[in-house]
Amino acid sequence: MKWNSKKALPLLTLTGVVLLAGCGGNNGNDNAADSSSSPASAGPTSSSAAAPSDSGTKMDTTPITFTFFGADASPNWNNMQDEVGKVITEKTGVTINAEYDVASGGGQSKIALMAASGQYPDLIFAKGELGKLIDAGAILDLTDLIDKYAPHIKAIMKGSENRMKYSYDDQAIYSLPTNGGVGSQYFDATGGFEVQLRVLKELGYPQIKTVQDYENVLSEYVKKHPTTDGQPTIPLLLNGDGWKRMITITNPAFLATGAPDDGEYYVDPQTYQAELHYKRPEERDYFKWLNHMYNVGLLDKDTFVEKDDQYQAKIASGRVLGLISQEWEYGNAENALKSAGKDDRTYGHFPVTMSDQYQEKELQSAGVDFWGISITKACKDPVRAIQFLDWLASDEGQVLINWGIEGKHYNVVDGKRVIPEDVLNAKVNDNANFTKTTGIGLYTAFAPHYGDGVKDPTGNYYTTNFPEQIQASYSDAEKEALKAYNATTWKDLWPSDLPVKEWGALYNMQVPTDGDYQVIYQKTQEIVDKSIPKIILAKPEDFDKLYDQFLADLNKAGAEKMEATYTELVKNRVKLFTGKDIQ
Amino acid sequence: MDSQSAIPSAGRANATSASTAGKRSFWTEIVRQKYLYLMSLPFVIWLFVFNYVPIWGWTMAFQNYKPAKSFIDQKWVGFDQFRTLFHDDQFYMVLRNTLAMSVMGLVAGFVFPIVFAVLLNEVKGVAFKRVAQTISYLPHFVSWVVVAGIVTNMLSLGGVVNHILVWLHIIDEPIQFMAKPHWFWGIVTGADIWKETGWNAIIYLAAITGIDKELYEAARVDGAGRFRQMWNVTLPGIRSTIMVLFIMSIGHLLSIGYEKQMLLGNNLVSDYSQVLDLYALNYGIKIAHFSYGTAISMFNSVISIILLFTANGLFKKFAKESIM
Amino acid sequence: MFNFINYFVLTVIVVATVYPFLNVLAISLNDSTDTVRGGIYLWPRQFTLKNYETIFGYSTLITGFKISVLRTVIGTVLGLISASMLAYTLSRPDFRSRRFVSVFLALTMYFSGGMVPVYILMRDLHLIGTFAIYVLPGIVSAFNVFVIRSFIDGLPYALQESAKLDGANDFQIYYKVVLPLCKPVLATIALFLAVGQWNSWFDTYLYNGNKPSLTTLQYELMKILDSTQQGSAMVNSNDLAKLMQQVSPESIKMAITIVVTVPILVVYPFLQRFFVGGMTLGAVKA
Repeated sequence: MKWNSKKALPLLTLTGVVLLAGCGGNNGNDNAADSSSSPASAGPTSSSAAAPSDSGTKMDTTPITFTFFGADASPNWNNMQDEVGKVITEKTGVTINAEYDVASGGGQSKIALMAASGQYPDLIFAKGELGKLIDAGAILDLTDLIDKYAPHIKAIMKGSENRMKYSYDDQAIYSLPTNGGVGSQYFDATGGFEVQLRVLKELGYPQIKTVQDYENVLSEYVKKHPTTDGQPTIPLLLNGDGWKRMITITNPAFLATGAPDDGEYYVDPQTYQAELHYKRPEERDYFKWLNHMYNVGLLDKDTFVEKDDQYQAKIASGRVLGLISQEWEYGNAENALKSAGKDDRTYGHFPVTMSDQYQEKELQSAGVDFWGISITKACKDPVRAIQFLDWLASDEGQVLINWGIEGKHYNVVDGKRVIPEDVLNAKVNDNANFTKTTGIGLYTAFAPHYGDGVKDPTGNYYTTNFPEQIQASYSDAEKEALKAYNATTWKDLWPSDLPVKEWGALYNMQVPTDGDYQVIYQKTQEIVDKSIPKIILAKPEDFDKLYDQFLADLNKAGAEKMEATYTELVKNRVKLFTGKDIQ
Repeated sequence: MDSQSAIPSAGRANATSASTAGKRSFWTEIVRQKYLYLMSLPFVIWLFVFNYVPIWGWTMAFQNYKPAKSFIDQKWVGFDQFRTLFHDDQFYMVLRNTLAMSVMGLVAGFVFPIVFAVLLNEVKGVAFKRVAQTISYLPHFVSWVVVAGIVTNMLSLGGVVNHILVWLHIIDEPIQFMAKPHWFWGIVTGADIWKETGWNAIIYLAAITGIDKELYEAARVDGAGRFRQMWNVTLPGIRSTIMVLFIMSIGHLLSIGYEKQMLLGNNLVSDYSQVLDLYALNYGIKIAHFSYGTAISMFNSVISIILLFTANGLFKKFAKESIM
Repeated sequence: MFNFINYFVLTVIVVATVYPFLNVLAISLNDSTDTVRGGIYLWPRQFTLKNYETIFGYSTLITGFKISVLRTVIGTVLGLISASMLAYTLSRPDFRSRRFVSVFLALTMYFSGGMVPVYILMRDLHLIGTFAIYVLPGIVSAFNVFVIRSFIDGLPYALQESAKLDGANDFQIYYKVVLPLCKPVLATIALFLAVGQWNSWFDTYLYNGNKPSLTTLQYELMKILDSTQQGSAMVNSNDLAKLMQQVSPESIKMAITIVVTVPILVVYPFLQRFFVGGMTLGAVKA
């Protein structure tokens, strides 16, 4: 037979591809396909659990291993070889085989692969990607499990049950909130507008309530001290590197004009309408002020060009008078100043607004609304899993996770838990090693827990952060400044008694991946990234024109459609959380 | 130069084998060349399994792919993804940026390493040669994060470059280089030259070792000076390597990654720094639009292959050198 | 005169390229809090070995190191064998399937099925969670083949012809005649393969993330490394606060670079002698 040899091989190739395509694709998704049966089939069907079906108190402690994936990085995870981990295993029989994400986390690739290939861990902390897994039918509905087997979790979540539900249209409970502490309080304000302590001191601790006050303070001081240690003094420095612009440039726009942090949106508390916060007329005035600061030379010229480490270096050199940021954002630089003994070059915080008609709502609580842990259908013993999580949520579990082992990491003196000096030292100065060996702090993502400032039945705090510590950790320069402002912590300068937000923390809300929403969001973010720097660097006479162009660009990219979608989501969320009936 | 390649080059070889091919039966040939087939067929099969089989994934570009659903349950949308892609102005912008930087990078990525390799080869002292060569490739191992930081620092208002320029009275005021969108492509190319020249030169150094030393003798006898020797012996000697690498690089014109552009860029120059791979990331995987990402990837591959065949054909015709 | 200019130009180039590396080294030996202040160029301001201590304090590095060495050696050997064999067969003008194989091979450089199909394939082949996935799927590299082939093309064909006259079969010609002459290019390709294997972590991340016994050095270091540089705009401020607390200081990042690069520097001279310096192809006579 005469084959046309040239064509034979390619033909065989093509046939092979088609055949294998048929097999490969379906195989992969068969698992996903037949698992799309109702997730509520979780329930107490497992026969291996020795636990009685009513109280969750009698827990089986035979050794078992659960696999876990966390969409955050956890570099100090030590395969439960740490001291706390060993105790957990001893008391519950559970060993966790954990895998964490790397780099900036988010777990997008891995979770997409899980959904596509049908291979899931038993437990998962999926953050924003949970939606994909729910769509794949991979996540169990925990409502019954909690009800029957998790009394401690029930107690912690009392009053916030609605907030555990997934959405108005699907009220299953797919995850237990663990990425934050229930009842957590802020002990101090670490945001707002920052001013160096030496500036405050020299100017006699003036009132800094409005942006005008802030500007005056900076310009007055820089006139007197144009150089610091031989280098030019920088009045105001902002971080324009990539996404950091959110923290220092665009978020302050809404904080200074009386709106709380809802990501890139502003939600009207009466009508629940959502729009990109840049559209608020008040914010135009804020950006106009920033433009003014640049044009009079008070804002550092390199703001939008330099990288993060140059920004940190400038702060660490002690010559930056003012920042508009969150302490964790420049914390490394502040530490460098402190360790060089330059406490007077560190910063105080002020709730600055455009004018006193606005309240600075940075400290407004979003209530219980966090990402958390889920149990997947790959878990063969969900009852055991929930009991394990419940144990971690018990008082005993929480103290173990936060404080450690009694006698080793803390002592009880006159009924009060006290951390010995050497342990505290290790914790603060050699944190990585401390975490690896003791395991303190590694297990908080696994179960719901109380937050800072909440006391347990023994009158001790659940966590190791308490208000008294904050005051003790202030430097003398800070204490002096606070005294001059009649405050014990910076938080005292902020308005208190703000109501809890009805819509929770909107950045946790799952947004649709179908359709245009995400594309428009991405495009509008890119427009903001591009336009705001241009606007701030423009000549004053061009400001309005450019800002109008900016708003027009946003709408041209589809902002209105996106905002309408978002508004619906917000309304549904409020309905779910509060039970109100919203149209 | 002819003495260099004594064996027939690819172009002519195909012509020869094609004419005799019809005479013999295919299978007899395979048996005759059994060792050659044994040395190649297993790998071909390997490639088939690991590289060609997953191509079924390209069907995702014609769907609205959701990882949760099985293959049959996916929604088919025909060419919609491509339609969206080709209607997006941003797509053309990133395409322009990508091509600009990759063409500049292509030229720089050949000229500098070759010159460096040739110059290094001229060095007589073996110790200096080895040390210089070892040091030259070190930046390849330093991550772009670090290099971008160094470059940004050097080009900042208070940085080294501005200091020198002001001191030499070439400019009066420091220039904010990193804020100038039109300079961005040049800065990226420059940083890349700095980082990769040493490493890229390695292949050429290896190729130069393969040149028959007698050719240099012959050239010297003919009265050629150092430059003549480099031009007439060294360069032609590595001609084949240069061309093969060049053809392969042309295919990669659209796939230059995004890390260095992202790290060196900032919000002021984003219209010039966004490249195709970043666009694919932001509008594809990151927002779970797998189909869109796959469509872009398909587009990329098709264009690359067209470029490859074009380059291959042109080189085969005019330079008698090709890879296929 | 030419020599002088040459040395001068090359020295300038060398100084310019050594700078980033020295800079990294200096920062890695500098106290991490002090590093934030910037201004460290060629030597540390506050010398410390603490950064290295912190890194080596992660015991998982040892397993990672062993696995990385293993995959580097095995991957390089397999890669060399496959690339050289294919390169030889493609260099033979009389090879019947030459055009087909060349095209088949070349195309693989420019397309990929995508992450999901590849993952499903690996799963179906039971390669996930194994050591083999590090070295088997990527055995054949078109780039390496073409580079080696262009080198072989430069060798006098007469040598192969005379070997054939002596009765050698194709494999023997490949093994005894051609391969020994390819030492420079083989050393180069070995270098590329080795560095590629040594630096890879993404496959560990995708396929073996939950198998601590198969972890690789780079992956372990990646875990320690903070990459908030690449943080997306979608990350909310609550998360950012947590992320920033895990920021590993600049100096640790630099120390990681050094830790990864030093083994390569150590091994490099052994390969370098094949393509830089004294060696000539003395035996080759046209």
